[in-house]
Amino acid sequence: MDSFLSALALAFTPYAIGAVGFGTLVGLIFGSIPGLTFTVALALALPITFSMEPVPAIGLLLGTYIGGMTGGSVSAILLGIPGTPSAAATVLDGHPMTKNGDASIALGTAVIVSVFGGVFSLVVMIVSVDLVSRIAIGFGPAEIFALVLFGFSTICGLCGPSLLKGLISGVLGLMIMTIGLDAIEGIPRLTFGSINMLQGVNLLVAMIGLFAVPFIIEAFSQRNDTSFGSKPMVNVRTELPSIRLLFKNLWLMIRCSVIGTGIGAIPGTGGAIASFLAYDHAKRFSKSSKTFGKGNIEGVIAPETANNAVTGGTLIPLLSLGIPGDPATAIVLAGLMIHGIVPGPALFMNHATEVYGMYVAVVIAYFWVLGLQLVGIRLFVHVLKVPRELLAVVVLVLCAVGAYSIRNSAFDIYSMAVIGVGAYILVAIRVPITPIILGMVLGPTLENEFRTAMMLSEGEWNIFYTSPTAVVFFGLAALIIVLQGLSELKIRRKSRQEVQPTDA
Amino acid sequence: MTTQRQNTIFGLILLIIACAWTWLVIDTIPPGFGDGDIGPRAFPLIFGVSLGVLSILLLVQAYLRGRTGAAGGQAGAGQEVASTIHWVAAGALLVEISLYGVLLEKCGFVIATLLIIVVVMRFNLNVRSIKKIALMSVGTTLICWAVFEKILGIYLANGTWINLG
Repeated sequence: MDSFLSALALAFTPYAIGAVGFGTLVGLIFGSIPGLTFTVALALALPITFSMEPVPAIGLLLGTYIGGMTGGSVSAILLGIPGTPSAAATVLDGHPMTKNGDASIALGTAVIVSVFGGVFSLVVMIVSVDLVSRIAIGFGPAEIFALVLFGFSTICGLCGPSLLKGLISGVLGLMIMTIGLDAIEGIPRLTFGSINMLQGVNLLVAMIGLFAVPFIIEAFSQRNDTSFGSKPMVNVRTELPSIRLLFKNLWLMIRCSVIGTGIGAIPGTGGAIASFLAYDHAKRFSKSSKTFGKGNIEGVIAPETANNAVTGGTLIPLLSLGIPGDPATAIVLAGLMIHGIVPGPALFMNHATEVYGMYVAVVIAYFWVLGLQLVGIRLFVHVLKVPRELLAVVVLVLCAVGAYSIRNSAFDIYSMAVIGVGAYILVAIRVPITPIILGMVLGPTLENEFRTAMMLSEGEWNIFYTSPTAVVFFGLAALIIVLQGLSELKIRRKSRQEVQPTDA
Repeated sequence: MTTQRQNTIFGLILLIIACAWTWLVIDTIPPGFGDGDIGPRAFPLIFGVSLGVLSILLLVQAYLRGRTGAAGGQAGAGQEVASTIHWVAAGALLVEISLYGVLLEKCGFVIATLLIIVVVMRFNLNVRSIKKIALMSVGTTLICWAVFEKILGIYLANGTWINLG
């Protein structure tokens, strides 16, 4: 209780509230611009948080994440182009509503149900993080190795259309992270004698390169066919839905929140999968399923509730086990680590105040989302009219500022450029980049826990197969890969026009 | 080019990377002491070999799909047209960001940013209006400088040759 009260004191300072609000605004703007996702926003916002106190810093990042998840619906509803992949399902009914002249009510409903989904998942998260950490506190290095391997195989298996390319991408990430000084014995690995390489590839630099540079290249190379400004924009405002409408759909909102939170808690999934599942679920159980696709409000409620519920879900494995499920939470993880907060089973023992502060920050972020969407919707509409290539010029400058400010070294700018162009080529040949970033995040844990386990067992391999927990996780990891491989063989014959289920 | 061809090239490049990586790892990193001691070499080696195996699998997959596609004479899964890669835009950006890095170290944030935005606007975006270029470069530079350096207190690059701000 004491730590909760001190968390309230930390989170309710004008500075912290302002930081969360700034993050939410940035997230909403980046989220509403097609091509720029909240992952880019997070990567660019991270360097800003270095000099802040932990709670405002993490609040800013979480605000960006939450704002971005919500902002995607603006362009989905108004333009029929999802601002983020997780808003792709919202297009199906949100855009027809705009055509029918119901844009204001669609936007208003989207905001309200987003807040509902987010707060619902926050409650679930608070309960489960505590439960999962209690179980995981007994894990030794062997169990943690098995757990991380399981999380990692889920990510490689689920995040793209091809299992093989997912695995390749994951291994590339793991390889990049072994460059530099070895953490246990301090031996330089593949540094080619360069001092700059001794620290290895900086994770934050890589994140900025991986997510922002492909956007810049895309925007520069196809600048004539993506002007949204020419589209007629209706005179929009955000109109709150009636209590009756919300009450009628309360049960749907609860079910979709459960779907979103559950999907979010599985590493490697994310908002896009959750919102499509929720949309499908709503359509199947709706009394008016025939009007789906023609502007049914339930078709906006379901995906928007679910994609915001994902935010709480993804934080469960992050906070309780230290496993980020998608690039956005990987960046939040990096932010936490910079401020000395290491997520994992021992989080509550060491940093209870900061964690409660984060919970409060999430609630504040939802208030900001509500306020900004109601008041500032016209601003977002104007942002949508700015040509994409001009935004890309600004993003280019922000990338360089971000990469440089991490260690004040131009070497980081060069490595960002190389990694970014590499990432662009990978994206172009349909290799998912999510596993790269998670490989980079989880790689050191994987290696260090394995080597610690082997030291503990004095070189005996049985430490890995005598622990039932470890065996279960190894089994699950193998199961995921086999099942994914089999299902891919089945799908091969069908059409492969699937949505890329990642927010990267 | 088809996706299948693209995957073949990608697989070959990966295979080369995997071989070079594995060779470098064996050549430069000392092994553990044996008897279950996992030294610094084990993991990079495992990753290199895994990448090699995966790239061979990718090559086999591309070959098999290419064969079934060709036999059917139809545009099969492997025969779909590959996505285009904008090599020129990617290469240009690589050069520009590197140039930006050099300029930041030599001339400081303000001058470097002004210059790089002019270059990008003129050559990448082919903007001819001098007014537009000037507005964009001066505006972005000033706003970034004010927000980062003055409001947020983030250290922006100072030039070694010349410095403003």
